[in-house]
Amino acid sequence: MRPTTLVRLAVAGSRTDRLRTVLTALSALLATVAMLCAATVLSITDYAERYTNPLLIEPGLRPGVAATLILVSLPVLALAGQCIRLGAPARDRRLAAIRLAGATPGESVLIATAETVVAGLLGSGTGLVAFLVARRLLDRPDLYGQRVLPTDVLPPVPVLVVLVLLVPVLAGVIGAVLMRQVIITPLGVVRRVRTRGPRPWPGLLIAAGIGLFAVPGQLGEQWNMSKNTVYAFLGSGAVLTMAGVVLGTAWISYAAGVLLRRYGRGPVTLLAGQRLITDPWNGSRTMAGLLTAVIAGAVALAYRELLATEFRYYDVYNAMMGWTDGGMGAPDEPEFYYGAVRLVMVAVALASVVAAAGVLVALAESIVARRRTYAALTATGVPRRTLSAAVLLQTLTPLIPALLLGLAAGDALVRLILSEKPVGNEFRECVAAGGGGCEAPLHPEMATVLHVPIPWGNLALLGGGALLAVLVAVGAGLLVLRASTDLEELRAS
Amino acid sequence: MSALLSGTSIVRNYGATPALRGVDLTVDEGEIVAVTGPSGCGKSTLLHCLAGILRPDAGTVTYREQNIGLWSEAARSRLRRTEFGVLFQFGQLVPELTAVENVALPLLLAGSGRREARGVAAEWLDRLGVADLAEQRPGTMSGGQQQRCATARALVTQPRVLFADEPTGALDVLTGEQVLGEIVRVAREHGTAVVLVTHASSVAAYADREIVLRDGVLDPTGLGLGVAR
Repeated sequence: MRPTTLVRLAVAGSRTDRLRTVLTALSALLATVAMLCAATVLSITDYAERYTNPLLIEPGLRPGVAATLILVSLPVLALAGQCIRLGAPARDRRLAAIRLAGATPGESVLIATAETVVAGLLGSGTGLVAFLVARRLLDRPDLYGQRVLPTDVLPPVPVLVVLVLLVPVLAGVIGAVLMRQVIITPLGVVRRVRTRGPRPWPGLLIAAGIGLFAVPGQLGEQWNMSKNTVYAFLGSGAVLTMAGVVLGTAWISYAAGVLLRRYGRGPVTLLAGQRLITDPWNGSRTMAGLLTAVIAGAVALAYRELLATEFRYYDVYNAMMGWTDGGMGAPDEPEFYYGAVRLVMVAVALASVVAAAGVLVALAESIVARRRTYAALTATGVPRRTLSAAVLLQTLTPLIPALLLGLAAGDALVRLILSEKPVGNEFRECVAAGGGGCEAPLHPEMATVLHVPIPWGNLALLGGGALLAVLVAVGAGLLVLRASTDLEELRAS
Repeated sequence: MSALLSGTSIVRNYGATPALRGVDLTVDEGEIVAVTGPSGCGKSTLLHCLAGILRPDAGTVTYREQNIGLWSEAARSRLRRTEFGVLFQFGQLVPELTAVENVALPLLLAGSGRREARGVAAEWLDRLGVADLAEQRPGTMSGGQQQRCATARALVTQPRVLFADEPTGALDVLTGEQVLGEIVRVAREHGTAVVLVTHASSVAAYADREIVLRDGVLDPTGLGLGVAR
């Protein structure tokens, strides 16, 4: 097959196929821009006073800024993954027809993957151009030559090339992996279905992740860990925990489906329960981006409380020692640190919106794929509101426990770094060490243990916000359901 | 002289349900063989096994003295786009491609250039009487027009064997007769052998020979639907 034939067959498609291509390209564009920004921040060297933003000046804070930008790109990548599935039944039928015309199984996978790669390349290429143009347009140094953004720095060319190719390649790989679940024969398409329900083993992943995250706090000094080792432990712990929560959603979906079937009354619980049992992995796939954002948000909120406890510690300690001016002081600008946390929360909010868009795409895709069934149910007298309620229930039933799990896991991670901080031990430790000059506290009665509080209110806001975003997405998705239950669908091929 | 295509003791099951229980069949060069029998007797399964779409559970399918049952899926796909043509009742055209692109598809997949493939495809559309539909998509055509395009696509590579599974099943009697007449005419012109699955006596009457399947085996009485010529 010639490359021109491959491209022609890859881009041949209906309106839904074109929508899939556009959304995939758009996702690739956003993800590429976010990653290019992260790479640019990481390209800044040394203490960079040429910027006005302290987050860019301090070398120790820049990895955090980059990580935040990458955090935004994760749900965008998840959205790209959802877009690949959009209109999949029609595409699969087309591929089966091409197989009948003589295409080999490998060629049909190549055609499907080529579409994704072309869309990804289009998006990431446009993303690079947009990034370079924006960089020029936003390069406005002030009178002192200082810049708000790092528009004077560009990642090395090989890094740019890798980042531009990363999303299309990743999208292609995801597309090819998804095609493994589909057997395209000249006679039609067969989807491989997992007959065994998911097991609760992702719980082990969460435990392992939390365990890894705890290592630097518990054994860091004892093992004399380098900074990079600490980051490696924290990073891998966080990733494992997130993976555990996302994969665990499949088990939650399955268990919720079984419970709904067993104890539910009426057609809504029957339909929703059976759907959850039939495809428990749908929850994992659909909610992956949102849950990742929620866990990151919970970590940020818990870290904010940790910072507040540290600042409170300095206040209490100084009061206990009777130091009214100076003394052991909190950082001069606690607001700066809170501002950094707020930046992360903005990223989390953005990521949640993108993730909710992914939920909408997935929901619309699943409704369209089953439109004939829905239309047939409507034709036999099932009210549309029953179908709508079933769709809502099958989305929310696994989501609420998964959100609670994500919030708990995120808070637990930070709690492993610090959950309480005693004030007043310093004098006793100093005396016990036999050192001279141990200054006795003026108010020893103030010695206390400060507990890092759980930010219940903020966590509830975060979880509620995520839930609201999904509700809006489901509401929009139900509009598709209305069109899909049109009895005309039974006449359409 | 050995047969062009032969099936020997073909067995094929769907789970625990047997579809074919040891079927023997030979097809010679240019011969038109009708496979008839009641619904569910295994006619389509036999055709799919002979065309290399399905692999038999037991027995052999030999094309030009080679056991194609041992070939890989990719190799059998390539065989279908060069030596075999396949024609179904419906649903075989790619809805997003025009008629001429659909007909050119096997040639394009085989590596032909776009212009050359479209030229050959246009000739075949002309031969089947639907040249004026070249730039139309299947969704805008009638059932008979679609089936003519599908026939053009099945024959565009000038295959040695055409497998037709109820090719007129979705058409009215008059259109069905016309389409079938054209399939047989073109096949005879090019010396293409045809394996024709049908349960319509009028269709079976076009064949040189008729074999009858009942419950997955050949009916020894051979009393079929049509009259072999």
